[in-house]
Amino acid sequence: MILVNKLKQSSYQIAVVTVVLVVILGFWKPHVLVEGLQRACLYAVIALPMALILGIVGIINLAHGDYMMLGAYFAYWLNVYTGMDPLVAILPALAAFFLIGVASYRAIIKHVLGTPELNQLLLTFGLAIILEQLANLLWTSRPIKLPLKYVSSSATIGSFTFGTYEFIYVAAAVVVLAGLLLFLKRTPTGQAAMAVGQNPRGAKLVGIHVDRTYLLIFSLSIALVGALGAIFMTRHSIFPLVGAPFTMKSFCLIAMAGIGNLMGILWCSLILGLAENFVLTFRGYGGWADILFFALIVLVIMVRSHQRQVK
Amino acid sequence: MKTSRILLYLIVLAILFTLPFYTGVYVLNVMDIILIYMALALSWDMLLRSGQISFGMAGFFGVGGYAAVLLFLNTGVHPLLSIALGGLAAGLLAWLIGSAVLQLRGMYFAIVTLALAEIFRVIVRNLPDLTGGPEGTVLSQAIFAGNSTYTYWLVLTASAISVAVSEVFRHTRVHFALTSIRNDEIVAKSSGIDVFKYLVFLFAVTSAIQGITGGAYAHIYGFVSPEGSFSVDFTLLPIAMALLGGMHSTWGPVVGAVVLGVVSEFLKLQIPYGHLMVYGIIIVVAILFFPQGIMGALGQRWTKTGTG
Repeated sequence: MILVNKLKQSSYQIAVVTVVLVVILGFWKPHVLVEGLQRACLYAVIALPMALILGIVGIINLAHGDYMMLGAYFAYWLNVYTGMDPLVAILPALAAFFLIGVASYRAIIKHVLGTPELNQLLLTFGLAIILEQLANLLWTSRPIKLPLKYVSSSATIGSFTFGTYEFIYVAAAVVVLAGLLLFLKRTPTGQAAMAVGQNPRGAKLVGIHVDRTYLLIFSLSIALVGALGAIFMTRHSIFPLVGAPFTMKSFCLIAMAGIGNLMGILWCSLILGLAENFVLTFRGYGGWADILFFALIVLVIMVRSHQRQVK
Repeated sequence: MKTSRILLYLIVLAILFTLPFYTGVYVLNVMDIILIYMALALSWDMLLRSGQISFGMAGFFGVGGYAAVLLFLNTGVHPLLSIALGGLAAGLLAWLIGSAVLQLRGMYFAIVTLALAEIFRVIVRNLPDLTGGPEGTVLSQAIFAGNSTYTYWLVLTASAISVAVSEVFRHTRVHFALTSIRNDEIVAKSSGIDVFKYLVFLFAVTSAIQGITGGAYAHIYGFVSPEGSFSVDFTLLPIAMALLGGMHSTWGPVVGAVVLGVVSEFLKLQIPYGHLMVYGIIIVVAILFFPQGIMGALGQRWTKTGTG
């Protein structure tokens, strides 16, 4: 109960800080606000499935961003061979990556559950390399971008013009977060998954099929992140290593929010997204935006270890 | 038993030392690569023995390289001294980072180190006045004017140092401390081991080895660049080597480095793009099917004498 209160408190604090920052930014640099929001939602929607796997299956998937990269190439493939629009390809990507998730779980992940964390980290690291190099072999490392007209739509308020297409990330984040929360809190399967996440042994005792739950959650998460790849590739150019930074940023967000806190991920990604876009506005110093997440994660780890010592 | 083993080491060392007198330049170049990766694989395994996993080899390798080259260019110190100072710089940096993040271990530490290469790359790229920016920095002349015998002796020294450090760690109380931290941290703590201090120390020492190796590499090839010096190769290959050879020992990574070092020469020719995939497969297969590696599979006799 104390833990629950503490979690609520910390996410409440984060929320207040975020709101204050947002108001200040809105007046000072509206570009940062809008683009930061869009970027933040992209981060959040990638981090959410990873958090789900970490929270319930209890494994840190270092190949997470690479599944998104494969999803992006999958949508590209469909576009090349059938002319399908990447946004329509979300549906086949969901199905295909659910199956890929099932295969990955059955063939690889399942065998390291319950082994030392070290083995899991090494295994998913190896998996990440395999996926990246597979893409390298199949599509080479040349960046690919589809010429889509609708992605450059924009809107103007007063003298302030901004891209509107990227709000698709906001929509995606809201849909995925709401869907996951509904699934976990309201459906029997989701509640069972929560129970497994809290205590796999206890869940087994009350008759929940733990292995099947792991399979479902893992595959669902891979399906989500693969489908997201289809959205991602409409706006960004893709190459085999495009997903890797997202793995680390996602972990940074999960560590900030606390494992198991899905709502907190949204707030934390707002902080990261806004901060990155804020740095990007300084001409000549934009390159430094890429190390913000690292500074954040080190800060979070220091704060958390300090809290633990005080406790 | 003990003296015969020392004699064996001396003979092997003598053979390795005199290698340039009866082989050609190509063999020496392959040996350079094998020895460099051997030092990295050993340094990775040394930290692994405490149960901490680092993906930061490429980061400290690159830092050592940059530090050595920049010190050499800006202060004019002797290249060998600059390599040692590069290792010192990497060790100090690791000590700082370790002090900050080793309080929370396991995956937190692993992910922080995984990000290191990328972070250092961004920093180097964004300081063009100091580091040459995205193009990197080229030395006017490689160390020893490119003499392959001397460069071979240089990397042989670097990897002999890492073998020696690894053996010292294995046969002193450090070994018991690390093993007990790996097996059960609470037990280790209640036995009076300062877990945090040991881990920071170990992280700094292993990173210094990576820095020295990076400095040697940079001086041998005469350049540093954000993409080349922090390449994922320097993280991926050592891990694959240590896993293939067998974790938690000195000779596992050594054997793995020799085997994979030779194999990688062929792979580079056969699959120019995507040959790294093979190392990913080796890691996955090793974790799933033979976590003890080649040395473990060679028989219990070796491991029994090895873990003593």
